[in-house]
Amino acid sequence: MAIDYSKEIPAGRVKQRMVYESGNEMAAYAAHQIDYHIMGYFPISPSTEVAQHLDLMKTEGKHGIRLVPSDGEHSSAGICYGASTGGGRVFNATSAQGYLYMMEQMPVQSGTRFPMVLNLVCRSVSGPLNIHGDHSDLYFALNTGWPILMCRDPQAVYDMNLMALKLAEDPEVRLPVMVAYDGYFTSHQKRRVQTFEDRADVLAFVGENPPEGFANALDRDNPITIGPYMNEPDYINNRYQLSQAMYRAEGVFERISAEYKKLTGRDYPVLDLYRMEDAEVAVFLMNSASETIKDVVDELRLQGIKAGAIAPNMIRPFPQRQIAEALKNVRAITVGDRADSCGAHGGNMLNEIKAALFTHGNRDTQVVGRVYGLGGKEFKAEDGRHFFELAIEAAGKRSVSVPFDFYGHTPGDPSKAPKRLLKPLNFDDLKTGLITVTPNAESGKLAVKIPPLRSLTKKPKRLAPGHGACPGCGIFSGLELFFKGIEGDIVTLFHTGCAMVTTTGYPHSSHKATYLHNLFQNGAATLSGLVEMFWERKRRGEFEGLGLREDFTFVMVTGDGGMDIGMGPAIGAALRGHRMIIVEYDNEGYMNTGAQLSYSTPLGHRTSTSGVGRAQQGKAFHHKDTAQIMAATGIPYVFTGSEAFPQDLVKKAAKAQWYAQNAGLVYGKILIACPLNWMSPDDQGANIVDAAVSSNFFPLYEVEQGITTITYNPEEKNKKVPVSDWLKRMGKTRHLLKPENEAALREFEREVELRWNRLKAKHEHPDL
Amino acid sequence: MAVLPEVNKRGFFEIRLESIGGLGANLAGKMLAEAGIVGADMDGVSFSSYGSEKKGSPVKAHIRFCEFGTPIRDTSPIEHPHVIGVFHENLLKSGAASGVLPGGIVLVNSARSALQVAEEAGLNGCRVAVLDATRIALEEKNRVNMAMLGGLFRTCGFLDPEFMKDVIAKSLGKKYPQAVEQAVRVFERGYTEIELLDMPAGRRESAVQTGESPLGYTNQPLGGMIVTPGSSLLKDLSISRSGMLPAFDQATCINCAQCDTACPDLCFVWEEQPDKRGRMQMVLQGIDYQYCKGCLKCVEACPTDSLSRMLEQEGYAAANRVRHRFDFAEA
Repeated sequence: MAIDYSKEIPAGRVKQRMVYESGNEMAAYAAHQIDYHIMGYFPISPSTEVAQHLDLMKTEGKHGIRLVPSDGEHSSAGICYGASTGGGRVFNATSAQGYLYMMEQMPVQSGTRFPMVLNLVCRSVSGPLNIHGDHSDLYFALNTGWPILMCRDPQAVYDMNLMALKLAEDPEVRLPVMVAYDGYFTSHQKRRVQTFEDRADVLAFVGENPPEGFANALDRDNPITIGPYMNEPDYINNRYQLSQAMYRAEGVFERISAEYKKLTGRDYPVLDLYRMEDAEVAVFLMNSASETIKDVVDELRLQGIKAGAIAPNMIRPFPQRQIAEALKNVRAITVGDRADSCGAHGGNMLNEIKAALFTHGNRDTQVVGRVYGLGGKEFKAEDGRHFFELAIEAAGKRSVSVPFDFYGHTPGDPSKAPKRLLKPLNFDDLKTGLITVTPNAESGKLAVKIPPLRSLTKKPKRLAPGHGACPGCGIFSGLELFFKGIEGDIVTLFHTGCAMVTTTGYPHSSHKATYLHNLFQNGAATLSGLVEMFWERKRRGEFEGLGLREDFTFVMVTGDGGMDIGMGPAIGAALRGHRMIIVEYDNEGYMNTGAQLSYSTPLGHRTSTSGVGRAQQGKAFHHKDTAQIMAATGIPYVFTGSEAFPQDLVKKAAKAQWYAQNAGLVYGKILIACPLNWMSPDDQGANIVDAAVSSNFFPLYEVEQGITTITYNPEEKNKKVPVSDWLKRMGKTRHLLKPENEAALREFEREVELRWNRLKAKHEHPDL
Repeated sequence: MAVLPEVNKRGFFEIRLESIGGLGANLAGKMLAEAGIVGADMDGVSFSSYGSEKKGSPVKAHIRFCEFGTPIRDTSPIEHPHVIGVFHENLLKSGAASGVLPGGIVLVNSARSALQVAEEAGLNGCRVAVLDATRIALEEKNRVNMAMLGGLFRTCGFLDPEFMKDVIAKSLGKKYPQAVEQAVRVFERGYTEIELLDMPAGRRESAVQTGESPLGYTNQPLGGMIVTPGSSLLKDLSISRSGMLPAFDQATCINCAQCDTACPDLCFVWEEQPDKRGRMQMVLQGIDYQYCKGCLKCVEACPTDSLSRMLEQEGYAAANRVRHRFDFAEA
């Protein structure tokens, strides 16, 4: 909700306008004013909102940026890199694992010298998974060859985003630039921010177009070769050029920020020095915490202590000379690093500051280092006071008693060490014998017998109650129904997503049997490794006497998001034929990060990155047919299922188990409801997925040893409903039933019909 | 510019909203902040405590108002607010009112009297306000947050309710013009229907909760591993319900297990018993309401009248809960 507030400030030359927005909103706002050509993005908290705000503005026709929803950050970085070679302007935002997944591309972008701007909304790095703020992703960026600008608050996010592009494109620099601000502390806190009122003034500052004179991939008359195979003796010279450009970026930034100050009245020196003129003790912190510490400096000054604070506005290139200058007369400083550089005897900033002092001949200033505020741990005034106490102590003693340590970690209460709560599941309860699977001697196909659902309530649930999913969430009803068809012991791997987050909030777990998580580009590979370890250790006889009665059934659980970013490893695992099941709960979007579109989101559906408005009507392309993609890998069994047809799903689970234990990889997709993001009543999930099946949008079928069988045909049962009967049940699709969207609805119906007819043909012809 | 009635030592008037995802506290917080900062021409900062994007789990919203020129530097959550808005009464049990300043206001969404609420939660040395926002929302077919927002405006006298009505009209008007009138009415009812009570100072200090875990670096299992599988069963999720729950009548139950299939929260408790002919059969015993979030999917799935929707009455869930029999390890 943007409510604009107009207020002139006298200090600058351009007309400015006050808004009340968050850091993420300001990054998006700056990008929309610049009107970048391309943003290739993939959602990850807490940076996701940047793409969402841009989508919202796009929906209202406020900018022309082509927003490309990628299939993972590696792809988003690739899209951005490719776009940047084409001579236009490129923008992106990411966080944490997303950044690490992009990492390979970062030196490619800088080493081949194509400018762009990437916002890093700083967050802690897995694992264990933590979505909150620290600088552990940022520290991986230090060696990528990207200049890095730092933002202490939403105002700085806006200002730096404008300066970053100008810096990146400067002929003396020609490097991609990172803008780093703190996840949640800055990204999600709303503040008053001054902005350029007129886009023309923004463009006058950054330049209407990128500077000329640099070759690009779309200049027909000047063909070029980008990214050659370059060995010794040339490579070191490319690196030297990069190194020089990086160091030049400091002076160029100073020039740009001086110009910016004239325009806006806001000053961004390379180092932000607070009451440092005569400071004897100081604290160095970056971004949001560097603001908190100023209150402490003021307090200490009132007590007569000459305290000061230092915060960098730029850390690549590192302002070595300025740091040494600022500390010339300081007796002691505490350097807070919001990430560890494991094993380096200090965080990166601590060691770089020590190097700055050494290089500039300062052997007198005492330096204390502390790693603080990891994983979203707050930095409060009392923490700042502690940092000053450390510096005051070192100044007094002229030595540092503990040069480096963590701060804010807690020992715990050993008397409360975790104890096993439940007994391991009883194998005989899990192996009920109620389900039988028999291969047909002639056809090789499986015959399955299942009892009434009532009998299957005897089998223990695989999950304990107490998970934190939303009311009416379809994930766990879908998964438990599937597990009813599985006999004996399971080991599961869950991809990152709602099911993972809601069942494993530390220190609790809802999983009764062994479970593991890996990030959702890589679950299939990870589980395949565990599967092979199982078989290899079994071959070596290493499980004897360990209570294993029968082989585990290995099940990977993923959302549709995990089948986007993790599609490659899933196909890889399928082609290798590991004995495991991949079961996908498809809720048609990236719900864990706030309902962004996935490739499984159908055409026209509203998500937070496919908005509905004047200039756009929901998602622009059709849903991915993941079951058919997986079937094309030639795995022995593929199925689709839904809780609205329980017997059908339980039978398929039983078959899946047989194939995963005897033949190879199984893939299944279960359509499940997400009332929160489908904007539907909590109690309607089963009815909505029933309508999805009965409208032929989500046909129930299986592909067993390459032969397709439709297991529920609504036409034959006289249960077929129009697609609109399904769409009218959800808030996210109701707009599709309006007259102005009739063309989109027809197009969607045509696609549903086309896929259904193809499926029927396959059902009828075993060779298809 | 509005004049703040009082400020803390750094110059802020602070408000904290305590809620459950889905009640709209996040949006209420945003609207309240904008009414102060944009509407009343103050400065300030606002944010929510975010986790994953889930309904039914605790959320907090934080708002700091100040005069222009006050440096805004603190990004940490508000520990000692002037006003606390509690969107779900049960949150008081987990310390929702903690840290309120002496003379501050705790506004609670409750059907009970301010005195009852204050005494049960041990609130003293502050003003306690109650508002039956859930009832207002049900009666007006609108949301709890609009009623609470009305109540909060009443407690923050420096804010202009007319501005808020304008904001409601603007923010809802675009997408849901028909909802504007309703929302404004609910806001007005929230504004007028609160009951305020001054609680004299008592013995109990309103302490701030610390987030320290009994598991630390000496005893946290390596690698963040959880060695207590199934331990989420210790959680009480009843707070996730927003007024409704399923009632179970065993007499009309045919044990078809459709409810068991539908339930996302694994609430249904079964037991094997001999039927009339002596064959062992699974028989539904009831619902473990500790885990029920009130989605009512089971009622929708039930082919008989055995499961029905019910407005939750105080004490009903506790009295009718059928506990899961977990296979606990020996202590």
